[in-house]
Amino acid sequence: MRRAPLWLNGASVLGVGVWFILAVFPFFWMFLISFRAPVDAFSTPPHLFAPMSLHNFYDLWVADGFWRYAFNTVVVTVFTVAISLTFGCLAAYALSRYPGSLGFWLLTAALIFRAMPHVVLLTAYKPAFFELGLWSRYETLIMVYVAINQPFTIWMLRSFFMNIPRELDEAALVDGCTRLQAFRMVIMPVMWPGVLTAGLFSFLLAYNDYMIASQLMNGDMATMTAALGNYLGQSRHMDKLMLGIAGAVSISVPLIVLVLVFQKNIVSGMISGAVKG
Amino acid sequence: MRLKTFLGFVAPSAIAMILLIAVPLVGVVYLSLHSSHVATELKEVKTTVPLFAGKTREVTRLVPQAKLGDDGKPVVVWEYTGGAEITRAAQLPELEATLTKDRGSASLPRIVADMYDEVTNYDFWSALEFTLVYTFVTTPFVVGIGFLLALAINRATEPLRGSLIFATLLPMIITPVVSALSIYWLFLDNAVVSSLLEQMGFGKLYFLQSALTVRTIIIAFGIWQAVPFAFILLYAGLKTVPQDAVEAARVDGANRWQTVRAVTIPHLMPLFVVIVLIHMMDAYRVFEPVLVFSSSVFANSLQYLIYAVLALQDNIHKAASYAVLTVVGVVILLLPILRRTWREQKALR
Repeated sequence: MRRAPLWLNGASVLGVGVWFILAVFPFFWMFLISFRAPVDAFSTPPHLFAPMSLHNFYDLWVADGFWRYAFNTVVVTVFTVAISLTFGCLAAYALSRYPGSLGFWLLTAALIFRAMPHVVLLTAYKPAFFELGLWSRYETLIMVYVAINQPFTIWMLRSFFMNIPRELDEAALVDGCTRLQAFRMVIMPVMWPGVLTAGLFSFLLAYNDYMIASQLMNGDMATMTAALGNYLGQSRHMDKLMLGIAGAVSISVPLIVLVLVFQKNIVSGMISGAVKG
Repeated sequence: MRLKTFLGFVAPSAIAMILLIAVPLVGVVYLSLHSSHVATELKEVKTTVPLFAGKTREVTRLVPQAKLGDDGKPVVVWEYTGGAEITRAAQLPELEATLTKDRGSASLPRIVADMYDEVTNYDFWSALEFTLVYTFVTTPFVVGIGFLLALAINRATEPLRGSLIFATLLPMIITPVVSALSIYWLFLDNAVVSSLLEQMGFGKLYFLQSALTVRTIIIAFGIWQAVPFAFILLYAGLKTVPQDAVEAARVDGANRWQTVRAVTIPHLMPLFVVIVLIHMMDAYRVFEPVLVFSSSVFANSLQYLIYAVLALQDNIHKAASYAVLTVVGVVILLLPILRRTWREQKALR
């Protein structure tokens, strides 16, 4: 291919540079001011350098008890991912191997469910869980996340299972395995990349959700993301605003680590989830 | 695979979805067709009113009070109301009045503008209006910027790509409430953007006080948050463009732009379709920026409208009516994808 003209190279470097700054700056600035006193965080003119301390984080995690919400988040996300993957792998494997039209109807239903705005479901959960006494419990939130996750999970995992040759399980069946044994001992060992990717997206859904957790969990039972609601709004109390910023940073750190470690899986998951699924 | 085995494998997943998605959907329809209230009854209440010198008088009054059932809880009465709740939620009578009002001899554009103004004063219609504006304004930008970015990063030197992709993923992966907040905090009255612009001599700007700027910021946020998704798919797609077709176009004398238009874009067409459909589904559910910017006066969205009715008014029947109307919109958006899946699954047989 011929070499690109100078202006084109210039334009693409400029474009990518501008995008890079736009993508990173809001988070960069949020991190920067989370270590400051309110006066320095919202000074006119803004300063790139100012005295830094862990004061806001100490107040948030220790004095305000943010660790409780972090604990809730760990409980909820761990169980959501584990159960989602178990249910999802079983269903997706069957869907990738069963040719009948029932499979189509299940996938179609899952697709419609996936497009449902969560608030629609929340409208029904609220009165029902209240009546049934399931309000504000880990199990309730976990099962809700599992169910909401299923459509996306089975679509994504199905596209991974489709790539595993059928000959593999047929050979196992000929050798005398039952379906479940073939699935467990022959198919699952070669599925780990797919399982990891689907697990990442299940984790993101449970971790990132604000709406459901904020409505189904009371006070101390809230997840970190839902607890951030306590600090929303243009508060007149700058100290509270600073705690909110520290909270937002605390929530972002695990995600940034996640992207650093699993960048390739996230990219491949988005592609298989959208294109093949 | 036999049907019985199939059913065994899909059972846990299917039961979870039926219990927590399908049944709630039916429940929402049920809620929207009914209204409920706590039953009240008039009860005689005796009170002793002090008069003078230590004398008192007994007064008996009829006071409405909640009726208690045998279990000691208030009795809730459910009533089938047909479409009444939905009609009320969509404010259909008001809407009809607005549309049929006699507007004298005003010019046509004037009439349309007036009607638009009045219609968007109604809760549901104003939420629908901004949701649609948001969906249809962000979509072309998301696809366009994502495509240009994919072309540009595809040309970047190998060692830079990893960190560029890392940075690009951030707006999409970070918790939406947090990323919306990170933007919101940039635009507070005394925050970095306002004070930088003030330094540069633009005067004091209040971004969060006018409908136009709030709407613009929210739409820009939507584009910023969705571009990574379009980018990743198109970037992967670019790797599959047949290089001999590109070479052939170049040999025939096509310039770069013509090659992109004649070879690359047609090859990526299915991807563009997928991106547009998925983005529209996501955009239709916009929620977090409206919550974070508390912009429901200037820019409301359907999800936020329902959330607010649930969380602040605690009116499940009204929320359910809005929800039913919202679901109708989702189904309309979904029809094209459903047709594609049907064809794919048929090919499997």
